[in-house]
Amino acid sequence: MGAPASGNGRSPAGTRGPQRDERLEETRDWQMIVGLWRFVRPYRGLFLISMLLLPAISACLLAQPYIVKRAIDDYIAVGTVDGLGTWAMWFGLCIAGEFFFLYWQHYFTMLVAQKSLADLRVAVFEKVQAMETAYFDRNPVGRLVTRMTTDVDVINEMFAAGALTVLMDVLTLVGIVVIMMMIHFELALVTLSVLPVMAVLVDFFRRKARRYYRLIRERIARINAYLQECISGMTVIQLFAREEEVYAEFDRRNALHRDAYHRSNLYEASLFSIVEAVSNITVALIVWYGAHLVVGEPVSAQSAVAGVVGFGTLVAFIEYMNKFFIPVRDFSTKYAVMQSALTAAERVFALLEIQPGIRSPESPAPTPEAAGTIEFDRVSFAYIEGEPVLRDLSFKVAAGEHIAIVGATGSGKTTITKLLTRFYDVNEGRILVDGLDVREWNLNDLRRRIGNVQQDVYLFTDNVRENIRLWSSTIDNERVEGAAAQVHADGFIEKLRGGYAEDVRERGNNFSTGQRQLLSFARALSHRPEILVLDEATSSVDTETEELIQDAVEKLQRNRTSLVIAHRLSTIENADRILVLHHGRLRENGTHAELIAQPDGVYAKLYRLQREAEDERRAHMIS
Amino acid sequence: MKRLWQYVLRYKLRYLIGTACLFATASMVMAIPYFTRVAIDAIRGSDTDALSVVMRCTAAIISLALVQALVRTVSRTLIFNTGRDIEYALRNDLFRHLETLPQAYYQRQRTGDLMSRLVNDIGAVRLMLGPGILTFINTPVYCGYAFTLMMLMDVRLTLAAMAPFPILLWVVKRYSRAMMESTMRTQERLADISSFVQEHISGIHVVKAYVREQARAETFRTLNEQFKHESMEVAKLRGRIFPFIRIVSSLGILVVLYYGGTLVVRGTLTLGQLVAFIAYLHILAWPIMALGWMISIYQRGRAALIRLDEILDTVPSIRNRPEPAIADPMNGHIVFEGVEFGYPGSDETDSVLRRIDLEVPAGSSLGVIGRTGSGKSTIAMLVPRLFDVSGGRVTVDGIDVRDWDLSRLRSGIGFVPQDPFLFSQSIGRNIEFARPDVTQEEVMRMIEMAGLDSDLAEFPHGVETQVGERGVTLSGGQKQRLTLARAVARDPRILVLDDALSSVDAATEKRILDELESVMQDRTTIIISHRVASVRLADQIAVVDEGRIIESGTHAELVAQGGIYADLHARQRLTEELEAM
Repeated sequence: MGAPASGNGRSPAGTRGPQRDERLEETRDWQMIVGLWRFVRPYRGLFLISMLLLPAISACLLAQPYIVKRAIDDYIAVGTVDGLGTWAMWFGLCIAGEFFFLYWQHYFTMLVAQKSLADLRVAVFEKVQAMETAYFDRNPVGRLVTRMTTDVDVINEMFAAGALTVLMDVLTLVGIVVIMMMIHFELALVTLSVLPVMAVLVDFFRRKARRYYRLIRERIARINAYLQECISGMTVIQLFAREEEVYAEFDRRNALHRDAYHRSNLYEASLFSIVEAVSNITVALIVWYGAHLVVGEPVSAQSAVAGVVGFGTLVAFIEYMNKFFIPVRDFSTKYAVMQSALTAAERVFALLEIQPGIRSPESPAPTPEAAGTIEFDRVSFAYIEGEPVLRDLSFKVAAGEHIAIVGATGSGKTTITKLLTRFYDVNEGRILVDGLDVREWNLNDLRRRIGNVQQDVYLFTDNVRENIRLWSSTIDNERVEGAAAQVHADGFIEKLRGGYAEDVRERGNNFSTGQRQLLSFARALSHRPEILVLDEATSSVDTETEELIQDAVEKLQRNRTSLVIAHRLSTIENADRILVLHHGRLRENGTHAELIAQPDGVYAKLYRLQREAEDERRAHMIS
Repeated sequence: MKRLWQYVLRYKLRYLIGTACLFATASMVMAIPYFTRVAIDAIRGSDTDALSVVMRCTAAIISLALVQALVRTVSRTLIFNTGRDIEYALRNDLFRHLETLPQAYYQRQRTGDLMSRLVNDIGAVRLMLGPGILTFINTPVYCGYAFTLMMLMDVRLTLAAMAPFPILLWVVKRYSRAMMESTMRTQERLADISSFVQEHISGIHVVKAYVREQARAETFRTLNEQFKHESMEVAKLRGRIFPFIRIVSSLGILVVLYYGGTLVVRGTLTLGQLVAFIAYLHILAWPIMALGWMISIYQRGRAALIRLDEILDTVPSIRNRPEPAIADPMNGHIVFEGVEFGYPGSDETDSVLRRIDLEVPAGSSLGVIGRTGSGKSTIAMLVPRLFDVSGGRVTVDGIDVRDWDLSRLRSGIGFVPQDPFLFSQSIGRNIEFARPDVTQEEVMRMIEMAGLDSDLAEFPHGVETQVGERGVTLSGGQKQRLTLARAVARDPRILVLDDALSSVDAATEKRILDELESVMQDRTTIIISHRVASVRLADQIAVVDEGRIIESGTHAELVAQGGIYADLHARQRLTEELEAM
């Protein structure tokens, strides 16, 4: 019990335990990238454009030092300015090109990102929406909202922060090495000779830092878990006057987190400093070795063949090395962004993979003629295994019959309505609607046939009209207003400043309990169901509204089969038949007159209870 | 911002050393182009000892690089660690402050929101204090340094080469405002999506019952489109600023190449100086790129700080008076004198309690019964000062609870709240929470008293069984009984049960109440319930409705009176009979 749904319970930072080794992480990374590609694919044209712009940017970048070399060697060093302007122009063009291509590259990447992530968000939305009710019992709303908003946004950050330009970076790095080798092979070798040393050092510190990143993730998760618990239990902490001890524990966790960061900061700073130092050392190498080449006194004998080297070459080499280290410095940031994006992607995709437990069968049986019969055939059901709510329940409802279900709290009344509309599936037995097992129905057709008024009225933030017709295009204004008039909702609606266009605030805050009920009646009626399932609210309303509701319930039931979980004596007494539910079993079944004739029966007692409760409610209203 | 300075000042020495190191690093970085220049000019000048000059320059650059790496490591570690230290201190201070805020605050504030402040917002502030401050110092230092050194070589070339930089400042200033506005609009659209989804899932049963999934998905798509549109606006702005930041130093190089090249040919500038110019512009590229990043960090950090200040500026409405009173030892004599109560912010007609007068002598018991929303729980919460009265007073041992030392008062009260809250620890640890020095025997006795012993036998690890987050592995009744055991383990003078046995079945309740009798014997007890069975044995019973006491007396008296209590009694007997059928 209490375990989150499979593959969905991963909490933001915490549960990626340290036991997950690197290889597993890499496999996951690839799976996620493949998963993301599914959403990028429809926009592969745009994506291709943005990818093709990457080499263009690289080319503009790589040309610049070469132009500097030519400008120095061919003009500045030899003392002529004729033609220098042309090279300056080329240089300017390269800068302009870099700007232009960068802009469009970013634009197209973001376009692809926004389009595909919007699709992803819709996919998640539709998946969640299709889930069975039990799924929502297990998963808190907040978590599902996070999947569709924060998590997808983190993936977006990967595109926005230019993590994809890693490709361009690699291209640039390779380009730099190749061009340097082409300009002067030997000087290039000498210059690049420190890179392996750097790679080894960087890798060493990266591994160290990585270990601490894991620790940090765990420790922040531990802070958050404790924080969450303390905030929810603050009253208990205060009541027991244990603020000091709780604070001490929080401080301990907080300090552990800080210490891990102190260590990782040291490694990160070393890493950064090493890269900087190496970049400076390459300059020294270029100057030292290059100077020998320029003067014509080579350091080794072989290089004499290579010939004279101009100053421009030295400058170009220094420039290339500068450009070389920019992506190298950037890499760790990009890597971090990418990692958190992939973690978010993992959570989102895990959600996408879950199959809804209740859905239409592959090939649903043809929808039967609308008649309005219901049959429960030896139905048993439990929300939690071992705690049965309905046991071996059987009853039949003929077309057009009005049934009232009564029973004490916890007898399983509401569950009947949830099974009928397939919010949950029975554990044993079967339910037939118009002669067809609900599990063979096309789910949408089944639910369209049944009008469902729940005890707790849910209103959406929209206007009154949309709350009645629920955004259905087939229900016109006339039908909305007709339904409202029938259930007496028109009275208060027309008094509203905006009438049917009046805004409904979150959860219908701006309407009274009675008004909300009438609205939900209008909602049910406007959809013209063949079968009405009504779970009467127990909350007390004023006498006037009470009368309106009583009459509205009668109107709702007219000309259709109805199954009402009744709390009102009038509803009970007017029913064609009463089913008495007790501890999940059908105990009594008959008309009011028949059942009341058994003074020791469950119904007789329930009826007395109900009447006393109603008397009290009335007395309360008058006082 | 003012509050932040207090933290920063606490570490001023470290920031000073860090800054000094940054200066040292910058000086060394800036010296490198100088040596490059000297080397190049030496070769170009065809000096006889050109190569030995080159050797010396090379050696200088390499040693600078190595020393610099060390100093840089120190400065970065120092500044980043200080950022973490402040984050740590700030988080601790926030937590401490949260501990002082009353229940009323937590009713208003959503847990998720508070969490987000203590996690995300503190993170944003930390970013401002670590990398933010580093960049904040670095960028002007590097710019100033480079500018001065370049000016020393050639004033006109410097001005020409630096010309793109003011343009950059202008662009950043101009677009960063537009970008912030655009980003905020994006955030609003995202919030729209978020609230839509939130509402959609809360009302999913209606959507499903009416088969309106399609329509809702359409609306979601529309919201998504709007978000996409705003995001693209941000992308376009970013697309303009960031490439510009990237190319600005290249623009400088263009100037140096053309104009500087001409100067070299004319002989007013050496080739080495030209190379040095290019090198300085390269050095500037990185701090300049960090500039744009720093701006967004600063903006986020400031917004986060405002949200944190909101917590820290909330004055705890329930706290000790300057010189609090205590009665030692506490006897547990409770008196309500004309108590009025309304939740803060609600108007007078919504008042929860009206003129409540009650006296509970030390060692006696009081039962309070009433319907949901009658105000019965509020009576219980006023004793340990979870809320303060709006009129009248509540006294314990003759001292107004508002004058009591808060932790002494609460230490004397064992309170079992309506909503059982347990920590995700073992059963034993949850009982020990009441009193760390509780013995193992006492723990077992409490468990027995609360009727948990038979449940415990079924748990795999007995007392060591973990209860899970908020006690999810236990049933509602087990949770309530464990919280009862915890309260009694405190050995309090006053025991308050706030509808604490609502999830326990009638038979178990009876057993627990029998067990409790011995516990209650020498303690003042207040039992709040909606069930007659829970309160019938109390020395006095008060029936509460709409915030008033409408009937009071002993069980026998009230039943004889034939009022509401008698009705309730009859009805609950009927319910019990029904349950038993």
